[in-house]
Parts: sequence; C-alpha cells; structure tokens
Amino acid sequence: MDIFLQQLANGLTIGSMFALVALGYTMVYGVMRLINFAHGDMVAASAFVGLTIYTHVTGQATSLAAVVAIFLLSAVVMAVLGVVLERVAYRPLREAPRLSAVVSALGASLVIQNGIMLIWGPRMRIFPELVPQVYWDFGGVVISLIQVIILVLSLVLMIALYLFVEKTRIGAAIRASSIDQDAARLMGINVNSIIALIFIIGSSLGAVGGLFIGLYYRGITFNMGWQYGLYAFVAAIIGGIGNIPGAMLGGMLLGLFNAFIAGYVSSTWADAFTFILLIVILIIRPTGILGERVAEKV
Amino acid sequence: MKTIQRFAYPIFFAVMAILPHVLDSRWQAVAITFLIFAVVALSQDIILGKCGMFNMGQALFFGLGAYTTAILNNQYGWSIIATIPLAILIPAVCGVLLAGPIVHLRGDYLLVTTIGFNIVFVQVVQNNLGGITGGPNGIFGLDSLSFYGIDLTSQVSVYYFAFAVLLLTLGIMRNLAGSKAGRAMHYLREDQLAAESIGINTRIYKIFAFALGAGIAGLAGTVFAVQYSAVSPEAFDFIQSVLFFSIVIVGGSSVPGVLIGVFVMFVLPEIFREFATWRFFIFGFAMIAAMILRPRGIIPATFGKIPKFLIKENNHGA
Repeated sequence: MDIFLQQLANGLTIGSMFALVALGYTMVYGVMRLINFAHGDMVAASAFVGLTIYTHVTGQATSLAAVVAIFLLSAVVMAVLGVVLERVAYRPLREAPRLSAVVSALGASLVIQNGIMLIWGPRMRIFPELVPQVYWDFGGVVISLIQVIILVLSLVLMIALYLFVEKTRIGAAIRASSIDQDAARLMGINVNSIIALIFIIGSSLGAVGGLFIGLYYRGITFNMGWQYGLYAFVAAIIGGIGNIPGAMLGGMLLGLFNAFIAGYVSSTWADAFTFILLIVILIIRPTGILGERVAEKV
Repeated sequence: MKTIQRFAYPIFFAVMAILPHVLDSRWQAVAITFLIFAVVALSQDIILGKCGMFNMGQALFFGLGAYTTAILNNQYGWSIIATIPLAILIPAVCGVLLAGPIVHLRGDYLLVTTIGFNIVFVQVVQNNLGGITGGPNGIFGLDSLSFYGIDLTSQVSVYYFAFAVLLLTLGIMRNLAGSKAGRAMHYLREDQLAAESIGINTRIYKIFAFALGAGIAGLAGTVFAVQYSAVSPEAFDFIQSVLFFSIVIVGGSSVPGVLIGVFVMFVLPEIFREFATWRFFIFGFAMIAAMILRPRGIIPATFGKIPKFLIKENNHGA
C-alpha cells in the first residue's frame, strides 16, 4: 500500500508536467493539424534558459521574487521563440502538403536541440535548487514541497487555460479556428493572430513544464526534449489530440501509469509499456479517450 | 535535361561499379554505408512515399534484419549467407503483424504508433529480452561473408554485396511502379476513398507495402551487420527512423531524390568532419528551407504518363 500511495503522489507530479507540455501539442494540433515536433525541444530549451537567467540575471538568488522572475522571464523568452518558430518554419507551409510541414517541424526540432547543445554544451547540467528541500512523511509516504508546488501550480494553470478557452471571446475564436479555419476567417477571426496566440500560450506553458522538469529531476540535457516531448505527445493522443481537457487527463493518466510501472515493474521498461499502452488505446479507441470521431473529409 | 535523365542511371551505375577500386579503405566504408542507408531509405519510400503511410519506424525493420543475422550467426553458428532468408522473412512477417492492426489509423496516429513500435523494439533489445540480444552493448564479432567456402572478407566484396542489394531494391521498385500493386498503392496514396470506391482493397495493399518495405530493410540490416561485424541498439534508434523519414520527404520520394538525400545526410558529414558538432543544426535548417522552397521535395516523384494538367496540386500523401 505504501508503494501504491508513494507512486500515486509521484505519478500525479510527473503527470502534471506531462499535461502542461501536452497542452502545447494539443493546442497546435487542434488548430493547425500539425505535430509540433519542436515543442519538446522548446521545453528542454526553457530549462536551460531558466538556468542562465538564474546565474546571470537574478544573481543566483532563491528568494520567492527571484523564482517568480525566473518563471516569468523564461515563459516570455519561450513565447517569443514560439512565435518566431511558427513564423519561420510553419507559416510558409500552411498550404503545403501535410508531410512537408512534418519534416519542417522535425528540422526545427533538430535546430533547437542542437542549438542548445552548441550554446550550453553537450554535457548534463545541474538545475539550481530553487525550492527548499522540504519533505513530509505520512507514515512511509514521502511527499516533497516541490511535488506539491508542481501539482498545485499546474492545476491552477490548467484551470485558468480551460476557463480562458471556454469562457472568453478570444477562447471562442480559438475553438472556432480549430473547428474550421476558413469558416472562422469568414466570421472575422484573424486566424494568423490566433495561431500566434496558441504558440504563445503553448510555449509558455511548455516553459513552465521545462522548469518543473529541471526542478524535479535536477539533471538537464540538451536532448531531453525528445524524451519528455514524446511522452507529452503520447499523453495528448491518449486524451484525444486537439482536445484541451483531454491533454490534461491524458497527462495525468500517463504520469500515473509511468509511476506505477516504475514502482511495480521496472523503470527500464517504462518506454516500452508507455507505447504499448498507446498502441492498445489507439487500436481500441483511435481518437483517444475524449477525442470526437471526425468523419474524413472528401 | 532529357539527355541528362537518359544517361543519369547508366553513369551512376558505372561510377558505383568501379568506385571501390579508386577509393581507399576509409572511403570504401563510407560508400558501403551510403549503399546500406540508400536501401533502407528506398524501403521506407515504398511505405511512406509510394503508399502514403506515415511510417516513422523504419529503423525497427532495419534493426530486426540486422539482429536476426547477428543472433543466428553469433549464437547459433549459421553462416551469414544462410541467415539472409530469415533476415528478410522475419522483418516482413513482423511488418504484417505490426501493420495489420494499425493500418486503418489516420496519418498522424499511424506515425506515432510506428514511433512507438520502434521505441519498444529498442527497449526490448536493450533490456536483453530472452538473453540473446546482448543488451545495451549489442552483439559483436560476427563472421565475415563467405559463399560456399569462398571467403569474401575484403571490404570490396562487402561493397559489391551492398551494391547488389541496392540494384535488387531498385529493380523491385521499378517493377512495382509498373505493376498492379504499384498502381493500387499510387491511387491509395492520392485518395484512399476514391481508391476504395474503384474496388481496391486498400487494407491488403497497405499491409503488402509494409511487408515489402520491411523485408528490404531487413536485407539492408544483414549488410549492415556484415559491414560493422556488430549490431547495437542505438544504430536502430528512433532518431534513425526520423532521418529516413525526412530523407524520403525532402527527396520527393523519387529514386534520385532519395539517393541525394542519403548522400547529404550520411556522406557529406564524412567529408566535412570538422563541422561534426554543427551537423544536425545545419541539417535542421536545411530541412526547413528545402520544405519551404520545394514543398513536394527536391525531385518530386512522377507516376506513369499522367499529363501535368491532370495532377492535383497539394495532394501529396495527405
């Protein structure tokens, strides 16, 4: 039972990080029908940007204000990068064959990943200890302050995003663009701005996710984007890609699944089990748990 | 332009045939690598380019072939030649078994599922399931090529083995383009619904494409195992699949395009070794630029004798 509760806590923590990153994938896919392969590398880049801001801008301070500044600045930097990415690599290909955009996304991913390597070096870097090491022991189940912060902050961000998309006029424009871009344009929605906005939101949520990964795992490498990006993408698909609550649900489910595999089987099999889960879900329910079945357009 | 096209293939084959005799051993090895990856990229082209299925796990079939050869040779003492039929058959059967339940998935879902297969394969091999894959280090110390007692140890003979495999692959692709299956696959890629409505059993041809592509990639795996006399999990990582995928799309899914892609991706880095750390950074930009400037690929494939005005624009694969 101890293992179960411990892995439940760990799973929720990992799951909320997956969910934050998965939101970036799912929002872009929802509007552009494109797997933004570069998103995982953006997440990795944000951890490195956070590291640099910590050493050079906030002067290695760990006060609350400094930590908030690191999060905000990283989110801004990644949001700008996200918009640049969309302008350079995706916008020229919006009318091009689907696979061209996929390859362009892969190219962007290689550029960002290797850009990180060229700037920060190929070796693992240690992310600063921004949050004090506080642990609570509930009869054998250990929960750290970091885990609580990650879980609470992710939930707050996700609820805020959900309300933004469901309750505001701009949110309605986002939903309209993801249903039908041309019709949205006819209704006077500036789809280009909506896409830019989606990249801003997705990249800044990914930036927060990347900083969480740094805080939680401590070791950050230039190529970790593939790993976390792929997991987050799987989470988005499990939940039903293009569906915002689906990405949250998928992220949490995948986090829990991973934690239980690590707790009861072995972490060396985590990748294999994750993808077997994905394949099984896609065979049973090809559009994910919350995805709607869309008829193929002729 | 027409004359260039007419003479391009004979010149290419002639150059490739005499190539090992003018190169030193390091460049012979590079040339062999080119041939092996060209075969894998062409096998990927059958699935992705010709049949339009978003397969991003080709390294899985390549690795299956290489591991079949390595395990049979190293653990069971089969000669390399004797492993070839199984190195083709096992990936082909796996292609059928894996593709069977998933070919109905829409583009991007298929792509992620095939990535998944590849990652599961690498993890299975790394964790040494069944104790025969050698774990993370792989299997090394394979026998060299020999044929009925004639020893073909030299690199030149490995080169001709690889070249023969490439010629075989090109032959298969040429025949495929003119066959019933090739036409079916082409229609299927252009428009699945239309293909179904004129009576093409799309499911069968999709699985057929997977089996054929997997078998050819498996054969390339045998050549790979012979050339390096070793196999290890990272050689068949999903990143490799990404490269093959990109080569086919950037090349335009035509034979010359794919060969140019393989040359740029695997041979140029050997020539510009001092830029090794910049390799993927530059490739990334090149991939974006190539797609923006030529969305249908560097040398787009043509099919049959369809007049240009009948070909719908922007209808490639999706």
